[in-house]
Amino acid sequence: MTQPLLEVEDLRVRFHLRTGIVEAVRGVSFHLGRERLGIVGESGSGKSQTGRAILGLTPPPGEVTAKRLTFDGIDLLKASKRTLRTLRGGRISMVMQDPKYSLNPVMTIGEQIIEAYQAHRKASHAEARDKTLHMLEAVKMRDPSRVFSLYPHEVSGGMGQRAMIAMMLVTDPDMLIADEPTSALDVTVQMEVLRILDELVSERGMGLIFISHDLKLVSSFCDRVLVMYAGHVVEELEARNLRDAKHAYTQGLMNCLPKLNNDVRPLPTLNRDPAWAL
Amino acid sequence: MGAVTEPMLDIQNLSVVFGAGRMRVDAVKNVSFHVEPGASFGLVGESGSGKSTVLRAICGLAPISDGRVMVNGQLVKSPRDITFYRTAQMVFQDPYASLHPRHTVDRTLSEPLAIHGEKNAEARILEALREVGLGPSFRFRYPHQLSGGQRQRIAIARSLILRPKILLLDEPTSALDASVQAEVLNLLDDLRIRLGLTYVLVSHDLAVVAHLCDRLLVMRQGEAVEETTALALRSGKASNEYTRALIQASQGFARDGVQPALL
Repeated sequence: MTQPLLEVEDLRVRFHLRTGIVEAVRGVSFHLGRERLGIVGESGSGKSQTGRAILGLTPPPGEVTAKRLTFDGIDLLKASKRTLRTLRGGRISMVMQDPKYSLNPVMTIGEQIIEAYQAHRKASHAEARDKTLHMLEAVKMRDPSRVFSLYPHEVSGGMGQRAMIAMMLVTDPDMLIADEPTSALDVTVQMEVLRILDELVSERGMGLIFISHDLKLVSSFCDRVLVMYAGHVVEELEARNLRDAKHAYTQGLMNCLPKLNNDVRPLPTLNRDPAWAL
Repeated sequence: MGAVTEPMLDIQNLSVVFGAGRMRVDAVKNVSFHVEPGASFGLVGESGSGKSTVLRAICGLAPISDGRVMVNGQLVKSPRDITFYRTAQMVFQDPYASLHPRHTVDRTLSEPLAIHGEKNAEARILEALREVGLGPSFRFRYPHQLSGGQRQRIAIARSLILRPKILLLDEPTSALDASVQAEVLNLLDDLRIRLGLTYVLVSHDLAVVAHLCDRLLVMRQGEAVEETTALALRSGKASNEYTRALIQASQGFARDGVQPALL
């Protein structure tokens, strides 16, 4: 493999609060090539904060430190605000969980995508419009020109999420961070959105960080999985070898899901070992 | 049919319509099912399928536009009277939204007792807390001092404190983490057997429904697609194409039509 796209070493995110310091991410290290990397964990495990910290989107009063945080050779912690602005949305994109909150409610979907494109690429309105329509088609919108002129409240959740993905991919980024991109969607729509993401990743050779709480989904979709607990990575494994997970937390997380075939009653619950959090 | 016992819940040709004219929405169309006492029945479907609306129509939060709803052998009255709520109680999806943020657990639990003129509130509250596996130390906490799983336990305690016969569960675990979901599912399973409760469970998660329920109804766009059993679901013996699609989607992502390995 050539040089990885993203290198993260000892990433820490701290929040200085009145009640003391909360360390949400405690020394996470990984690297990403042109592959699908899953980050799994329960709420509060620091998986979303990891994704945000990479993009410099940690909310104040958060403080991000790392021994190394580089994207394609660019040090993201030392980079100027201007450099970061060109990277964000340009070469690195992020898809958030809920299209209801991440799309602008007073702009049509088409105009929003055009805005995103023109913020990063020099293009005339007509060019941007063509690119946008093309992108809407790529995310399998049935009637791109109709969707183009719709407002976010006029489309369903699945369509909104696909519009988000179209907006994030219109600039041809090298890396996409998807934070629970399908959690707000129905299962059948979820599969459709994943298929689109999958195609785009393999066609464009993008690096994808897929953040989710759904172990089953991640293991079937990603190449590699990081399992996070209490702010650090407890286990890293090949997605297809998830069944051979060594760490008790990963095993517990898998066992406590009700299964369609071979169900057990009562469900095994997770006995949290305080040592995991150390 | 030859049912020996009278069903606890009997729903015949239920329709729910919102709005009129151009704004008319048929949320539930001609849905029928019945649940025996002590049984657990599941309603499965995607958003907009009308599964939650069926529950809301049963407990009076949505209008019954057509058909009939019999609870414990009696036709429900509109508006529901106070005895109805002694028979049926509801647990909502989001414990972050269904508990009053400025009421302590004690106040939340004492409200139904006060409304129904129950005596001995203190002992009942402590018992209700014990039933859902929480100690007396939780009694004077506010919702923000509880975790998601603890909140859902309080919501379950509130619904059980009047000793209802039927519990209407609207996605009780979908806002919870997997490990917490397991705890709440075990609690619900245990309570049903211990207290002889009848459940109607709404969920989009087939595995959750199959775990808790014996029989279930698959819904789509307000209509009943098929009634099947958890056993048939497990063996993949769904007759309906839509049900099969749901089963397949619940197994994870399939790349190029290759079925993912089952965990």
